[in-house]
Amino acid sequence: MAAAWVEKLKSAQKTCLIQDGRRKIHFSFPDGMELSEEFDLKTGELAVRKWRKRGTLGGQGKWEMEIGDESPLRNVEVEGMMESSTNPVLVRKDTKTQFQWRIRNLPYPVNNYSVTVDDEKRQLVIRTENKKYYKRFDVPDLDRMQLELRQDQISIAHANNTLIVSYQKPREVLDMEKQLQDEFKKMKATQDGDIDCKPS
Amino acid sequence: MAASTAEKVQEVREVTRIERIGAHSHIRGLGLDDALEARQTSQGMVGQQDARKAAGIILEMIKDGKIAGRAVMLAGQPGTGKTAIAMGMAQALGSDTPFTSIAGSEIFSLEMSKTEALTQSFRKSIGVRIKEETEIIEGEVVEIQIDRPATGTGAKVGKLTLKTTEMETIYDLGQKMIESLTKEKVQAGDIVTIDKATGKITKLGRSFTRARDYDAMGPQTKFVQCPEGELQKRKEVVHTVTLHEIDVINSRTQGFLALFSGDTGEIKSEVREQINSKVAEWREEGKAEIVPGVLFIDEVHMLDIECFSFLNRALESDMAPILIMATNRGITRIRGTQYLSPHGVPIDLLDRLLIVSTSPYEEKEVKQILRIRCEEEDVEMSDDALTVLTKIGMDASLRYSIQLITAAHLVCRKRKGTEVEVDDIKRVYSLFLDESRSTQFLKEYQQEFMFSEVQDQMETS
Repeated sequence: MAAAWVEKLKSAQKTCLIQDGRRKIHFSFPDGMELSEEFDLKTGELAVRKWRKRGTLGGQGKWEMEIGDESPLRNVEVEGMMESSTNPVLVRKDTKTQFQWRIRNLPYPVNNYSVTVDDEKRQLVIRTENKKYYKRFDVPDLDRMQLELRQDQISIAHANNTLIVSYQKPREVLDMEKQLQDEFKKMKATQDGDIDCKPS
Repeated sequence: MAASTAEKVQEVREVTRIERIGAHSHIRGLGLDDALEARQTSQGMVGQQDARKAAGIILEMIKDGKIAGRAVMLAGQPGTGKTAIAMGMAQALGSDTPFTSIAGSEIFSLEMSKTEALTQSFRKSIGVRIKEETEIIEGEVVEIQIDRPATGTGAKVGKLTLKTTEMETIYDLGQKMIESLTKEKVQAGDIVTIDKATGKITKLGRSFTRARDYDAMGPQTKFVQCPEGELQKRKEVVHTVTLHEIDVINSRTQGFLALFSGDTGEIKSEVREQINSKVAEWREEGKAEIVPGVLFIDEVHMLDIECFSFLNRALESDMAPILIMATNRGITRIRGTQYLSPHGVPIDLLDRLLIVSTSPYEEKEVKQILRIRCEEEDVEMSDDALTVLTKIGMDASLRYSIQLITAAHLVCRKRKGTEVEVDDIKRVYSLFLDESRSTQFLKEYQQEFMFSEVQDQMETS
């Protein structure tokens, strides 16, 4: 299971760059998918993981965030309509031992929320008692390893208008992440400012 | 008092936008029955029965979708309904069949070569029906709020609150979105879906929770349940895109946005080839379907010899749309050469065409058209005035008498009348010359105009 994901990453064409205190790795897969991961150099935490797929009609799609903040450069005139900045936003931000989702701009107290597992769709579901917020999302890391979602691994907390949903990382995930980290460390990275060119 | 009424009128205008009226806005189809026989007056079309019947047959050909690269020429004097027939065909085909309408002189531009402009319009006329995943927002409108800035000018700001049974979200609206929401008359209690990529809004109906006994509603108001779950969903939809749109998406890195910013410039032929083979691949896999459309070139005599030879070649491709051309020229010079040819089109291209001719309207038909135009422009006219106008239409031209409708209506309004009378027509007839009276006038007073003496001197010298 885990091997399939590692193999997939290995088969991709990789570019590595160290910039702003982060190790940035860009993968392009044979089917046109692109993956970009950014690791913090000090803590080794995964700060950003985003995907880009080719559109059905060709052309480049948009980056879709799996982990990390979305870039704030959005313009309502270009997009036509977009969520107001006062709305709840879900951002995934993992720690070493936990998957963690933070939903900002949720002022309601902690007993308003319920987080459950939908086994059929393999998703986590966040519900609110006052019907203000609802979100279904999957946990791609567990899908890749084909591990079960377990209700007893979930914990929630609420502070500073933010709801934090944590899910304990299973043993298998931790092992694989360590293995990948070691692989990445071996990669030759271009430093910021260095351009790999050979003057003739 | 007067100020307040004026304000009110402004307000009403804002709610029900008055649409501008084009010369062919009254045409809704070809006006044929099921057996392709032309009705005398139907769907805004009057007379020209033979030409309409012919157009109907071509329409069937297009709908079949099997034939590529046929060309039809509509030939006739000015003001005999050539463009009207083309418009009627576009309307009859429906919105799912691409219909591109250009004028012959449109292709001459400094930024693009003639053949590039022609190729682009060819590719705009071929549709591809394909399944695509898009993001849609589906929910019940809780509140829609559009604020105009206090100064009266400048950008409007809008907010739209949508909800499902489980959640609620506030959206900021851009200028285009505000416009289309007003156009669709979306209000609180409506259930709507919005396609995020294209910004297309579809009203599904009214929410059940908003059903009240005494609500004023049309007979076709539909009540639907408030949607469940998340507001934003991914959905597979089948839609038609033109080959040109696919070209644009693939020729630029920033992708879809380029469609809206206009200015695509020239598209490399490698990109086109690549897309052709991609589309062929999709077709074989059953993923996509080709929808041949129609390219209408008005005033085709304005094309030059290079364009005509390009057309000859382009019509032979299996990706060619049905080409409809219209011209009002008789035997005339082909642009870019010294040769004379019928319709100003070289014989080798004429040979590939089916030619449909239109003939001048009869008095009865002119009257009918004028009546339809009066209705379209919201003008009430007495029978006598209409008869006089018809007479003018026969003597001068149909276009001239259609122009007089609006002018006479204004005169009538200025004297606070409700119905346009013969006197109003007389007044505008004396104020505005038609082409033949103007020519007459010029002939009489030629001497008084500028440069006439110069010419005389030149002739004598």
